[in-house]
Amino acid sequence: MNIVLSHFGDLLGGFWVTIELTLLGFAGSVVLGTILAVCRVVPITPLRVIGASYVEFFRNIPLLTLMFLFIFGLPDIGITYSLFASAAICLALSGAAFTCEAIRSGINTVPVGQAEAARAIGLTFTQSLRCVILPQAFRSMVQPLVNVFIGVALSSSLAAAVAVNDLTNRTQQLNLEYAEAVAAFLVAGALYLVLSLGGAGAGAWFERRLAIQR
Amino acid sequence: MSQHIARYGLLRRTSILAVASAVSVALVGCGSSSAAVAPAATAPTVSSSEYNAIIAAAPVADTSAITRGSWMESVKTRGHLQVGGSDAAQLFSLKDLETGELKGFDAGLSQMLARYITGKTDVLSLTKLTTVTVDTRETLLQNGTVDAVFATYTITPARAKKVAFAGAYYESGDAILVKKNNTSIKEVADLKGKNVATESNSTAALSLKKYAPQARLQLFQTDAECVAAVQQGRADAYVLDQGILISDASNNPAVKVVGQPFTKEPYGIGLPLNKPEAKAFVNTWLKKIYADGSWNKLWKATIGTVVSGDAPAPPTIGSADGS
Repeated sequence: MNIVLSHFGDLLGGFWVTIELTLLGFAGSVVLGTILAVCRVVPITPLRVIGASYVEFFRNIPLLTLMFLFIFGLPDIGITYSLFASAAICLALSGAAFTCEAIRSGINTVPVGQAEAARAIGLTFTQSLRCVILPQAFRSMVQPLVNVFIGVALSSSLAAAVAVNDLTNRTQQLNLEYAEAVAAFLVAGALYLVLSLGGAGAGAWFERRLAIQR
Repeated sequence: MSQHIARYGLLRRTSILAVASAVSVALVGCGSSSAAVAPAATAPTVSSSEYNAIIAAAPVADTSAITRGSWMESVKTRGHLQVGGSDAAQLFSLKDLETGELKGFDAGLSQMLARYITGKTDVLSLTKLTTVTVDTRETLLQNGTVDAVFATYTITPARAKKVAFAGAYYESGDAILVKKNNTSIKEVADLKGKNVATESNSTAALSLKKYAPQARLQLFQTDAECVAAVQQGRADAYVLDQGILISDASNNPAVKVVGQPFTKEPYGIGLPLNKPEAKAFVNTWLKKIYADGSWNKLWKATIGTVVSGDAPAPPTIGSADGS
């Protein structure tokens, strides 16, 4: 345990990489996921098909497989991203599928009468989505989005397998040198917990902010 | 219900594995127009029967050596040795997909040790493998899941506090693999500031920190990934055991091995620390297979297929710090 504590600075460096991966991955998921969710609810069939296909593909392919394909497959057709960028993009691509479904289920919680009323007063599709449906839908999306955040944070550890110098990777390196697997992973686990709890805390704060005062 | 879920889980895992292996096949397929990235069968190979004959010719312990209530007796009663190792370490412990048999220098030694204790000759049933990683080796020995670890396990004083090491049974050194057209990297000093790939389960990562502290490490999980990283220009060099690198380069004309090994890695057999009789017994066995030439023959049949020349003299037992 002393060895782990004396290398805590190094682990914190890895933790920072994990935070960056998580934030970039989650931000990317939310942007892409929102676009996909809109695609899935608009009354235009080709867009709905694209949205649905994306979700089914990226939700059902293991993230590690995606990372391997991205890192070792793409260079063969001449596209090479850095390891960190590859991992962040894969987290975003995979997270977007889950975010899309979280947002879509949020939209579905808004009673259909709201959309009909919006249309009845002459709002266009975009206006009714922006002014009526999404603001109400967002309340019920907060917790599912927290789940996506935690999912992205924890699966960022897969980046260690493709040589990204994140918290898991540094824990493994530490263990290679000092053979302190249990202590090292306990500390790493605690740091992941901090990150997840941070996400959950932010979610709870948002939920209170958005709650309707009745 | 729970059975149903368990079945589902199993099916899922199988399909994930299938996808993963399909991916790796695809990667190998498109890795290079001229040669495969993964260990291929182009290296001079030793047939299964020749390999099995070497194991079957190895010595068997006197019954008097298997003392009552000892580590050896529990292995003998069980009838096989529970080995912690790998099934994907080229030259050292690689699973033969046709026969299901583990072959390689580490695997062969574990089979010889199992034969020494049990007296059996059927190579497939001599050992049962539990795949171990750097993160699990010590723990699996401590809790008795495995009897012994044969996993290119470098003897270090830090590890010797947790497990007992018999040996050293092999001394290796890390070398450097680069792209064929690379002329800037010739020795370890040239790795300064470069991206250097290595296996995350290897001690090469440690030697790099020591000999090339300014190199930027990239830890991949397998040999094939490290070679692919060099070939695709993601890493400037790949550092690992010289024998493995020579084998990679012999399978893949796009890369080459440069310079001489810059480290000494004494490999030991990991044994439980609380069974001191095991270490003495295994060391006695090692001396026997050194003396009767079994060690030599196994080296020729495994590492000797890629490293030219005669087998080196086996390292002195107890010579490494921690053994």
